[in-house]
Amino acid sequence: MITVCIIYPFPLNIQEKCSYSNIGDFMNDSLKELLSELKQTFADSADLTVRELSLRSDTGLEAAVVTMEGMCDKEQLGQTVLTPLLSFDFGRDSGEEAADAVLHSVLASSDIIEFSDEQQLISFITSGFAALVIDGCARGFAIGVQGFAFRSVSEPESEVVQRGSREGFTEPLRVNMSMLRRRIKSPDLVFEQMTVGSDSQTQLMLCYLQNKASPALLDTLRKRLSECDLETVLASGYLSDYLEDPGTSRLFSGVGISERPDTVCGKLTEGRIAVIVDGTPAVITIPHLFVEEFQGVDDYSNRTYYAAFIRVLKYIAFFASVFLPGLYTALAQFHPEYFPTWILIQTSEALSKTPLPVTLEVLMMTFVYEVMKEAGLRIPKSLGHAVSIVGALVIGESAVNAGIISASTLMVVATAAICSYVTSALYPPIMTLRFVFIIAGGLLGLWGIVLVTAVVIISMCAKTSLGVPYMSSLAPFSLRSMRDVFIRAGWKRLSDRTINVRNFPETEVR
Amino acid sequence: MQTKVAFSAKRLLLTLLLCSCSVILLQSFDLSPRAGFLFHLICIAVGLAVSFLFFIPSVVIRVRTGFDFPTLVHRESPRLSPFIAVFYGAYFVYTAVFFLLPYTDMFCKKYFPETSPCFVAALLLISCVYAAAKGTNVITRFGIFLFVFALIANVLMMGGSVSSLSFGSGVVLNGTADELFRGALYFVTPAFIAVIFGFLSGFTKNFRLRQVVLTLILTGVKYAAIMFFVCFALGAYAYRQEYQTFVLSRVAHFGIYSGIESVYLALTTMSVFLIVSLFLCCVGKSVGQSGVLKHIICFAAVIFTLHTCAVYLRPVSELLTDTAVMVGFTFIAAVVVPCAYLIFGRVRLDKKAVGA
Repeated sequence: MITVCIIYPFPLNIQEKCSYSNIGDFMNDSLKELLSELKQTFADSADLTVRELSLRSDTGLEAAVVTMEGMCDKEQLGQTVLTPLLSFDFGRDSGEEAADAVLHSVLASSDIIEFSDEQQLISFITSGFAALVIDGCARGFAIGVQGFAFRSVSEPESEVVQRGSREGFTEPLRVNMSMLRRRIKSPDLVFEQMTVGSDSQTQLMLCYLQNKASPALLDTLRKRLSECDLETVLASGYLSDYLEDPGTSRLFSGVGISERPDTVCGKLTEGRIAVIVDGTPAVITIPHLFVEEFQGVDDYSNRTYYAAFIRVLKYIAFFASVFLPGLYTALAQFHPEYFPTWILIQTSEALSKTPLPVTLEVLMMTFVYEVMKEAGLRIPKSLGHAVSIVGALVIGESAVNAGIISASTLMVVATAAICSYVTSALYPPIMTLRFVFIIAGGLLGLWGIVLVTAVVIISMCAKTSLGVPYMSSLAPFSLRSMRDVFIRAGWKRLSDRTINVRNFPETEVR
Repeated sequence: MQTKVAFSAKRLLLTLLLCSCSVILLQSFDLSPRAGFLFHLICIAVGLAVSFLFFIPSVVIRVRTGFDFPTLVHRESPRLSPFIAVFYGAYFVYTAVFFLLPYTDMFCKKYFPETSPCFVAALLLISCVYAAAKGTNVITRFGIFLFVFALIANVLMMGGSVSSLSFGSGVVLNGTADELFRGALYFVTPAFIAVIFGFLSGFTKNFRLRQVVLTLILTGVKYAAIMFFVCFALGAYAYRQEYQTFVLSRVAHFGIYSGIESVYLALTTMSVFLIVSLFLCCVGKSVGQSGVLKHIICFAAVIFTLHTCAVYLRPVSELLTDTAVMVGFTFIAAVVVPCAYLIFGRVRLDKKAVGA
């Protein structure tokens, strides 16, 4: 992991009021009282840094620069704030006059914001600003000298592309905003700031193209975010539940997640809204539809026939990953006559040598696979090979040789597992449905699978994302959108399209 | 959770097309084996022409008032509506059992002889309650997926049977007037979709009469295709079977793969699921908007009870699966009651007068 230090070029626009206890209006306080209150508010936290200054003046002016340890670039703080302040002669200036002089003649920073109460002061310093307060002055100044270590911009591991940008979102909000702005230079691109989390005061940005996004959708989104009553919001995933339409199934996600700025920009141009949460590289896009899970950035760079092939491949892989173990269980347990003869002979022979019924065998292997997957994700990379060896040799080959599981079961579970990674964003519902279908197939045969399929399709058809039907393009069917569902039409045909989520049929909020 | 957004009338009629096609999947054809394919075509044409007449009252109400039948009843004569709701409740329960019985019978005879039909019906009804609770719009969206699946399933069943075709019989116009009547009566069975249309068309927009005509024509094409394959591929053997379409799926072969009947099982299951869910939606609509889920569950329980009675009592079963009774009941529900309402109720069929 590479760490770098940057200076933020953007001024923060703190609009929301925080609600801390022990906070007063510092306009009426002396500098000492203010600093005392501040220390009390932060309970003498070790990272609260107060640099008290005696300015050069005939009247003995006192001032203080308040920062949070590690949030500021010290070199810049010294050059643009401390050195000019200490070297400037304020003469016989009063506090207010000195403040004017500081603003217009002393500070070398281009990013200075005035504030007038302690709540704003706290918001600024916790965002990395340096706060300058002068005794006898009812105003303070927040100076943009932010600079802290964070992960550099790199390609997201979960959305690797062959052709296209290698940039991925990173944790700081402002860096992520700049990545979008660099791609869409239109003034229609709007970032709208909100704060969530009563304790964490996490900043987030609603990002949209004002000429594309529906005002009604935006209002709905703002309302839902304002209803978020969490104390702490550490990642965008915390907000997903608040953004989902009430009364709809949670099996499939009604909000999309992407770590790629080019993907998010593409979605913005279709009238979607992005929610960028400070501290997480996963950006939410909403409304989110089922067919989006099968679209990738590479599709739009590759040849159309190849993109269409990949799309169809993804759909097949999705169905295989969900249905294959369940179908195998149902056929082996209830309808072995459906197997072609030579497969039937081999499968029956293999299954007859194993102690467990086929349903339990498939369930057990799928469960073991999930355990191994989870272990592989959590353990250090250096141990990853060991897990692979244990999985492949011990659980795979040895279990087959020992007659605990059949080779055909192992093959089916492994194939389904590999297929599930083709559409990795759908992994949670795939995993859940796979277990459900294995149980349904094991208990009720093909009929159980058909019945569960009907219920799942009904549930998916009933789902909406910000009022847009989740299965849009397929059901309700839209012939126009088909140019970018199972196939990807050529750019000449795609370029004259006017796909916008608000125009999808049966959208409840337009 | 019925969404307030109106959906295309085309989609409702596509769903009804699937419902009407399921008749031929579930029922044995009550036709003479010596009658040829052309004779069957005439029966289909007559049957569907009569079915079209069943549509007329609902279409008139829909086109001239913009409402569906229950809404019109609630608006124009609230005092009559409880009686009409009771009648239609009984009709939908009867029709649901009419389809459920042959399905569970076929399921238990052909696939799982050790399974109780009541168990199958119970599980299916639970699924249907879930679907009906989601509303008509969602069910018609499901219909799109089922339509695609039905296309694939039919291509598999019919395509796989091509190798068994024998053109030695069938292209004759044999048949008596009595056989023509029985044949036409059988093909009037899909007229129940007119009642569903009358109840659910209020959720739709952009309705055109030609959509109804097209639906019935496509139903006829589907029936004709199945009759063609049954006549030529299986001949008299098929007529002796209880479920001719099932037999058609059994003869389908693709190389070493011959398990097409699993596709047939899936198709019939989905079709019955669709029909019963739509009936439950209609029940919810007939008894009013408040407490719809409660009513749906109550009616599902009634359907289950009646189905259980029919499973164990043969006379009940015979009555519930009698095509003539079904057609008669449908005639009253689709034609007599709406027409009586239109004529004797002196309903002002003026959009402005009613809709204002």
